[in-house]
Amino acid sequence: MQEQAERGAFEFYGSWREYAPIAFTNLLLTIVTLGIYNFWGRTRTRRYLWSQTRFIDDRLEWTGTGRELLLGYIVVMVLVFVPVAGLNLLVGALAMRGTPEGAAAAGLLFFGLYLFLFMLGGLAIFRALRYRLSRTYWHGIRGGSDDQGFRYGLSYLWRMMLGSAAFGLLVPWALVTLWNERWNAMSFGPYPFRSGASSDGLMRRYLLFYLLPVALVIGGIVAVALSLWFGVTPQMAPGSVAPPLFLIVGFFVFYLLFLALFGLISLSFYAAYFRQAIGALTLGHLEFEFTARTKDWLTLMLGTIALVVCTLGIGSIFIGYRNWAFFIRHLRAYGSLDLDQFTQSTTRAPGQGEGLFDSLDMGAF
Amino acid sequence: METRVWHYDGRSGERRMPALVPTSDERRFTLQGDGADPGPYAFADLEPHGTSHHERAFGLKGRPGWRITFLEFPPSEIAVQLPKPARYGAWIDRFGLWRSAGVLAVLAVLVVAFTLKLPPLLARLVPQSVEQRMGRLIVGNLGTYACSSPGGNAALKELGARLRQDGDVTIRVVHAPMINAVAFPGGQVVLFDGLIQNARSPDEVAGVLAHELGHVAHRDGMEALIRQYGLRLLLGGFDGNISGYGNALLNARYSRKAEAGADGYAIGRLQAANISPLPTAGLFARLAKQDEEPGNAAVVMTYLSSHPLSTSREQAFRTSAKPGAAYAPALSPDQWQALRAMCGDRPATAS
Repeated sequence: MQEQAERGAFEFYGSWREYAPIAFTNLLLTIVTLGIYNFWGRTRTRRYLWSQTRFIDDRLEWTGTGRELLLGYIVVMVLVFVPVAGLNLLVGALAMRGTPEGAAAAGLLFFGLYLFLFMLGGLAIFRALRYRLSRTYWHGIRGGSDDQGFRYGLSYLWRMMLGSAAFGLLVPWALVTLWNERWNAMSFGPYPFRSGASSDGLMRRYLLFYLLPVALVIGGIVAVALSLWFGVTPQMAPGSVAPPLFLIVGFFVFYLLFLALFGLISLSFYAAYFRQAIGALTLGHLEFEFTARTKDWLTLMLGTIALVVCTLGIGSIFIGYRNWAFFIRHLRAYGSLDLDQFTQSTTRAPGQGEGLFDSLDMGAF
Repeated sequence: METRVWHYDGRSGERRMPALVPTSDERRFTLQGDGADPGPYAFADLEPHGTSHHERAFGLKGRPGWRITFLEFPPSEIAVQLPKPARYGAWIDRFGLWRSAGVLAVLAVLVVAFTLKLPPLLARLVPQSVEQRMGRLIVGNLGTYACSSPGGNAALKELGARLRQDGDVTIRVVHAPMINAVAFPGGQVVLFDGLIQNARSPDEVAGVLAHELGHVAHRDGMEALIRQYGLRLLLGGFDGNISGYGNALLNARYSRKAEAGADGYAIGRLQAANISPLPTAGLFARLAKQDEEPGNAAVVMTYLSSHPLSTSREQAFRTSAKPGAAYAPALSPDQWQALRAMCGDRPATAS
């Protein structure tokens, strides 16, 4: 139907002034309900954010409900965490027996439990994406997936294990292939999402991230060795307490610098990963692009930190708003969408929300 | 006048702009023109889908994706039929934000208060047999430090009997230099030898012991464990962490109320046993003073950290003394000597 201009397929036109009453009443109601309202509060926030987001010629609509989220949370609590707590007690009881068989059984059980929880993490990411797509409407059409996500959970388990096993060098590969796997299982309307991202360009940044600590340790050793070689001994005034203090401050500054540098490099990897992953995503004849560079992510992060710190934490109610605005501002779409063919999704809509996702506390997308 | 709406039918993504025409009974409407399925549809089946009052989008019950959106404010005969948009959620919208928040806040305070009250309630629900088994396990851990001599045991028994008639309390002395006494669950009371050596008379030991017996009677130990370990304890896994529980109780700081309750119990017992409360008050005063002297902190602090002293506590004991009463010593000199010698001739020292 429409050939879209290169820019502006997505637009977010919300304003924080409009969002503030929602955020503050959510905070109030969440406090007086001891957190239970959080499920409804999150729904209100999303309804606002989605409704202020235009794609091509109409806005998005969020149709999820607070009740769904609560239900999802309860289901997870009952089906996963109660049995896991029971198993945990069993592990403790076995370990207390003091026999080698008991200890071995406890160790095995604990390892199995760990693997199981790891797999649940993958399942949670998949299900949250599926839930969000199934509750997002545009032109009266929604997304979804026919996949239950269990296979993805297993895939998540072995890929992440393998990725970390090779000294962590295969982590980018694991991240990218998992991205492809979950998006290839999703669809919107009649069209499946297709993602063919590769980790080719990511390795350089990842190696930087990976080698920085190693390089610093080697650099430190070399510096110490050189100072010993040249016989440079620090001159200390007797009885002065300054040198230890100086050392402590120096170490602290070094540590902060290291953290900042490390954070910056991981941010640059993250930025590249997102650009590459979203850039490889298509839906029908639509192609997507994500334009945020490291600098943009850094601005977002520093802004958020400043917002939270300067308001003594109250500003954190705006974090979701900021993230969404950032996401939409940097999202582009190209190509065309044939509305005649754009029919309703035939996927089964999940009955409850992102319970697993909530309880394992994982990020979006 | 014609009322045009944006319309999606939820089957295809095509947007139509039919006219919304109410039927003659004004309960239903049809969508006419632009290829829309005319209906009719009931106003009662409409669901609000906007996020605020100026968005007038509606869905249809049982038809996901079906939408009509009014581009202008609809004429009043239609507007009255439309459902109100949900704002905070059905219940809160009905009562209003501030009224709901007020009611919910009161409820929240009640829930929090109940949760804080829960440990003592739960502590009373734990069966005596379970509590006793637990106490034996914890104290069993102290086994190697336990002191025993025929004379000392008899003196302890005598003292216990004077302070409390029923027999489900076990009192032990352990060889440790700390000035401390602890009530473990299941009536297991442990006196540290450091306390006995520091005491100037059996009456002081009697006062401290009576205080611990108060904790036993009020089941404060169980309550403290439930406070700290919560459900993990009640789910029956307590075999796994006996030393942890023991440590927790050694360092337990009871609430002011629990301490006052145990003091009240102790004062009552001392009174009934005709033992003077004044030496106990003196002990408190002495400990507080020793605490200020350098070098003693490590020894004295163990008692003070779990039993914070205050002048009001000392006062309570002091004022409970009846002037002119003929108090009898808690133990005879021979018994007192036997108790002091229980952990061997060499008094335990702080090392």
